[in-house]
Amino acid sequence: MTTPLFAIVGHPNKGKSSIVSTLAQDESVTISPIPGTTVDNRYYPMVVDGEMLYALVDTPGFQRARAALEWMQKQPGSSVDRANIVRMFVEEHHDDPRFAAECSLLTPILDGAGILYVIDGSRPFGEEYEAEMEILRWTGQPSLALINMIGDSDYSEEWNNALGQYFRIVRIFDAMTADFDRRVQLLLAFGQIREEWRVSLEKAVRILEEEQQRRRKLSAGRIAETISHMITYTCQRRLGEDVAGSEVRNSLQQAYQQELTSMEQQCRSDVEQIYNHKHLERHEPLVQLLDEDLFATQTWLLFGLTQQQLITTGALGGAATGGVIDLAVGGASLFLGAGIGAMIGGVSAWVTTDRIADIKILGLPLGGKQLSIGPMRNINFPYVVLGRALYHHRMIEDRTHAHRGPLELKQQPAWLQTVDTDRRKRLEKIFVKLRRQETLNPDLVDALAEQIQNLMQLSVAPQTIPPRSRVSEKAPLPPGEG
Amino acid sequence: MTHSSLIGDLIDLNSALKSDRLSDSDEKKQRDRAIGQALQQQRNNPAKQVRGWLDQVRISAWKRDGVQAVQLYHVLCVILVFVGLATGWGLARAVLYYTGNAPINIVNALGLLVLPQIILLLFWLLATIPNSIPLLGSLQSALRFLNPGRLTRHLTRLFPAHSRQSLSLVWDAEYATVLAPATRWLFSFWSQLFSFCFNIGVLLAAFYMIFFSDLAFAWSTTLNIDSTTFHHMLSALSWPWHTLFPDAVPSLELVEISRYYRLEEGSLGNASTASELAVQLGQWWPFLVTAIISYGLIPRLLTLLISWFRFRHHLAHALPRLPGSPELLARMNSPLISTSAPQPESVAEFDAGSGYGPSKSGSYALKCAVIDWSGTGVNAESIAKQLQTMGISSQAFLMAGGTRTTDQDNATIVSLCKLKPEGVAVIVKSWEPPLLEFLDFIHSIREQCNRQQAIIILLWGGRDGVDRRDRETWQLTLRQLKDPDLHIEAMGPVQ
Repeated sequence: MTTPLFAIVGHPNKGKSSIVSTLAQDESVTISPIPGTTVDNRYYPMVVDGEMLYALVDTPGFQRARAALEWMQKQPGSSVDRANIVRMFVEEHHDDPRFAAECSLLTPILDGAGILYVIDGSRPFGEEYEAEMEILRWTGQPSLALINMIGDSDYSEEWNNALGQYFRIVRIFDAMTADFDRRVQLLLAFGQIREEWRVSLEKAVRILEEEQQRRRKLSAGRIAETISHMITYTCQRRLGEDVAGSEVRNSLQQAYQQELTSMEQQCRSDVEQIYNHKHLERHEPLVQLLDEDLFATQTWLLFGLTQQQLITTGALGGAATGGVIDLAVGGASLFLGAGIGAMIGGVSAWVTTDRIADIKILGLPLGGKQLSIGPMRNINFPYVVLGRALYHHRMIEDRTHAHRGPLELKQQPAWLQTVDTDRRKRLEKIFVKLRRQETLNPDLVDALAEQIQNLMQLSVAPQTIPPRSRVSEKAPLPPGEG
Repeated sequence: MTHSSLIGDLIDLNSALKSDRLSDSDEKKQRDRAIGQALQQQRNNPAKQVRGWLDQVRISAWKRDGVQAVQLYHVLCVILVFVGLATGWGLARAVLYYTGNAPINIVNALGLLVLPQIILLLFWLLATIPNSIPLLGSLQSALRFLNPGRLTRHLTRLFPAHSRQSLSLVWDAEYATVLAPATRWLFSFWSQLFSFCFNIGVLLAAFYMIFFSDLAFAWSTTLNIDSTTFHHMLSALSWPWHTLFPDAVPSLELVEISRYYRLEEGSLGNASTASELAVQLGQWWPFLVTAIISYGLIPRLLTLLISWFRFRHHLAHALPRLPGSPELLARMNSPLISTSAPQPESVAEFDAGSGYGPSKSGSYALKCAVIDWSGTGVNAESIAKQLQTMGISSQAFLMAGGTRTTDQDNATIVSLCKLKPEGVAVIVKSWEPPLLEFLDFIHSIREQCNRQQAIIILLWGGRDGVDRRDRETWQLTLRQLKDPDLHIEAMGPVQ
């Protein structure tokens, strides 16, 4: 069985390189408005653990198709000799700079590559395409026409009619907005042009789908970890005697916001890396603190004990002392000693904390005041962060590598609100535990990651992608007819 | 697999993953997949896999700090062993201090050597049970906070910063979501190690004093407890070993004769001869030693082992969860998929300099022959009107390109030259980029007709108008001809 090979051919500037970039998930493909940027064939093999499943060949666009066809038409021979005539053309003009583009693009086809003929369906059909389509038909190789929708106008019907005369399968494919499913469907369609290639392409699709699931899982884990950190993050600063509280508040809030932003941005970059978008510029509004008063002032004591911990410690100490008395009277006190002891210990610690904090030993205070910000208690905050993360993930998952502009994350769909009650309950349960600072259990982060992965499967694509996916199939035409 | 090597691997893995962040992702995929395939038999054990990866991977700028951290960890454990032994020995010597003047109060010995251990053991159990019970959480957090094992980390300040910083990863707040359970059990392990050694110290001191001196025990309390009640209490305390070591359970007789009053230089009930009494009072030691073993040593050995196993378990569990580990495992266990081009792309370089004449925007005063390139299908009348707005009067309409042959194009050029127009206007579809065959055509006009005549490329945008980007494409391409008499004009507004 031969490895499927597909030559992406067509007029210059009709999105051949964009399609290759999208299918090969390769940002290095040069996409330029100047015709003739692609000067040589470039191979993009899909290799899985050393096994090549298929290869795409990006080719230069036709430049002198009419002259080439005229040369071929002048050669003697019947229609069965046409493939040989094309081969003769390539052999004869191999070193002719006038036909460098034609020779380049025809070489892989003559070597057995399937033809993926690309046109721009947002521009009208023109008679100048006929010569190149005729040359491709002369090669006798299996072919598929791709209507690439570069602009907003739609001339696909017009093109369908024209292409249908030369190609058995015509498919509309938007290289810039095609999501994963559409890319996969296209690969499967390649398998339709030659039966023996179907197995390889189906295997390639299966592997790509598994890879997509792995990427989702990794992204969900990374997002869950970030959300856990963001919900539980606290920022503290000790208050000096001569420092104004408002100054500390402002700088602390700034530091808190910066840290949350930094966590979120790091997560974004990691998700982009997972999807092989290495050099992506991103525009996104910063996460908001939801206008909540997040500040709390508390007393700290020696060894870093907070007032609450000191009260608990005092209560424990009191209970232990009272417990000894209970023991001494053989339990006749019905553990009243432990109860009263705990109360006395706790209240004493509560009353004396501030005084202990003011005590200085060798000029060093035993304690003082500290201002802390966080953790975020607003119940909407985790949903806001999750919504943003899922939106970004969706945009990245759907973003093709043909896109070269910055990623704009402006509108956030409110689809999270439409998630069913059971899922919301499960999420809320996890968020409640996180808000209680129970992140010390990594299983909680795993549980959140699982929920996020489920949401990723459910999430609806933002309404930026027009539903363009049509196929028309016709009976194959013999070369030279139509 | 000891947990100290797990600590080393954890620290090494973390630094490796950090150093690896900047490595090229394609290289990482290839390298890690190769290692993953070599470790295929450990696929179901992620901790083993990442440790195997650690053994095989080589990363530039990666500094392995694990060994120093493990050394520091061992030193801390040894310190705790010595401190525990010394404390236990010292406390037992103090509690069992006996000069022969007054017997050792067994209540005192139990109160200092056994009772606190029972209470602390209860606290330990309270801190380790799962906190699903409401209100227990804050108590547990306080107990965990008060765990003396936490203090051990402060000892690291006595050691060089390099190894200290490496080991501090285990309790670093940044890694709390991954390492908090392991940290908790590390502190528990340290506190139980100290306690176990403390009990060893106590027993060593007790045996030393029992073997090399005579000890006499008695019991004394101000509380209104009679011998029978006290015997009941001791019997309850001796319940765990009463069948195994019945001799280590004090009899009622021993309790009765051992009651001691300090009044009048001390007196013992049922006193017989001094030597007989000394033998009888010495019979308390099996009880005391068994109590320390039962309520101190054995539980501490158990808690030490539990802490050790739990710490090891959570460390191993944390390895595949460290930041970067899930991605590493994915690279190791998923097929290496490459879809990109193995070779760099060779791209044509274009001269960015200006070569053609700028648009004159209506200032042409020319009689031009008009050529429709590739069948734009524009009506000749509307073309003439458009041209008039640019100061161009149309002299003749000719066709070229499209479905016509190159011979027919050449014939068009011959006809054009015969007309000797002041200029040539070529109408093209703005959305179709200029191909080399079009440039050939322009070149032929220039070669065969008047070399100085103006050639005006008229961009026609169809029903959508001329797109700005299409005009730029034409401008960039025609610039390559470096023809100062070549102009580009858009028919209609540019979008």
